[in-house]
Amino acid sequence: MSMLRRLFPVVVRSTSLLNPLKTNSQRAFATEVTEAPNETRPTFRKIDQVSVGQLKDFGRYCAECLPKYIQKVQVTAGDELELLIVPEGVLPVLQFLKDHHNCQFSNLVDIAGMDVPSRECRFEVIYNILSLRFNARIRVKTYTDELTPIESCNDIYKAANWYEREIWDMYGVFFSNHPDLRRILTDYGFEGHPFRKDFPLSGYVEVRYDDEKKRVVVEPLELAQEFRRFELSAPWEQFPNFRNANPAQEEVKTEKEKK
Amino acid sequence: MASQGVQRAIREVKPILSLDREEARKRVLNLYKAWYRQIPYIVRQFDVPRTVEQCKVKLREEFTKYDEIKDVRLIDMMVIKGQMELKEVVNNWKQKGHIMAYFKDTLEPRPKDFLSKFLQGKE
Repeated sequence: MSMLRRLFPVVVRSTSLLNPLKTNSQRAFATEVTEAPNETRPTFRKIDQVSVGQLKDFGRYCAECLPKYIQKVQVTAGDELELLIVPEGVLPVLQFLKDHHNCQFSNLVDIAGMDVPSRECRFEVIYNILSLRFNARIRVKTYTDELTPIESCNDIYKAANWYEREIWDMYGVFFSNHPDLRRILTDYGFEGHPFRKDFPLSGYVEVRYDDEKKRVVVEPLELAQEFRRFELSAPWEQFPNFRNANPAQEEVKTEKEKK
Repeated sequence: MASQGVQRAIREVKPILSLDREEARKRVLNLYKAWYRQIPYIVRQFDVPRTVEQCKVKLREEFTKYDEIKDVRLIDMMVIKGQMELKEVVNNWKQKGHIMAYFKDTLEPRPKDFLSKFLQGKE
């Protein structure tokens, strides 16, 4: 037992050494005591409030290092750190996160797109990156519209090549300085970008093999019946249990805002 | 209202390729020329059942379809897409069906008068 007790602090110390998000400037920030109550329900995912506090510190640290580019830092779904940046800042922010000694987010896991037609800049481009060194993930979000190009991050992450082609193909977001930007999922000659919200579910054209012409022909889509629109919202409340649920995002106050 | 118009006019936007109309126009003409010069090869390579002249008329039609577009960035975006499409043709990524899709030769014109509608059995 005494062996264990002697071992225990050693173990704890070694993990804290490995912990990513403990930056040098951490002493400058007093780690906030989070008010969120500990989750006691057995079927719910437990969120480690200590690591969330470290994530917030790290987000604050990033916002302090790159005040020009980072607009907002938030924690989503309990323990996922997100940096919301301006479109011009994609390269500097990703380069910082990849190469800075306290970050080392060297893996690009995915780039996602999102379309919200009601916004002025309707597209969001979301970079999910992973630090193997520190076993931490971070999400970088930026925005654009149909005609504003975003810098390609292919020079920083080689994995971005196909992901950016996919976003170009699905949403029509143009990536400047991409080495090989062309379609990746749609057929040659396909018009439009299928993941845009204003693209109809059934598409515009249909393709069939024509026996007379001995080739595939493309024709405008003709549906015998109008595509059905199901009314999915019910008059009663859908999820009463989540009426008082925590908001999805929690903003992290940065130094810039405190002043 | 007028001030809104002025504001919109001076809104700074990031250019895609061209900085002004003249440059965009040059890009469009370059793309047109590239397609134009490729047409004889396309006809031979894909065994298109059209003459070179017919293809050139089609090419012109495809370009003049967008005559009313004046926005420089929109023109740039379309030039980029046109360039990609030309590359797909030149590298033989497209097949005959994709080339013939421009001509829409399997489309029957929709019936307009009563009798042809009746004969086709629609409405």
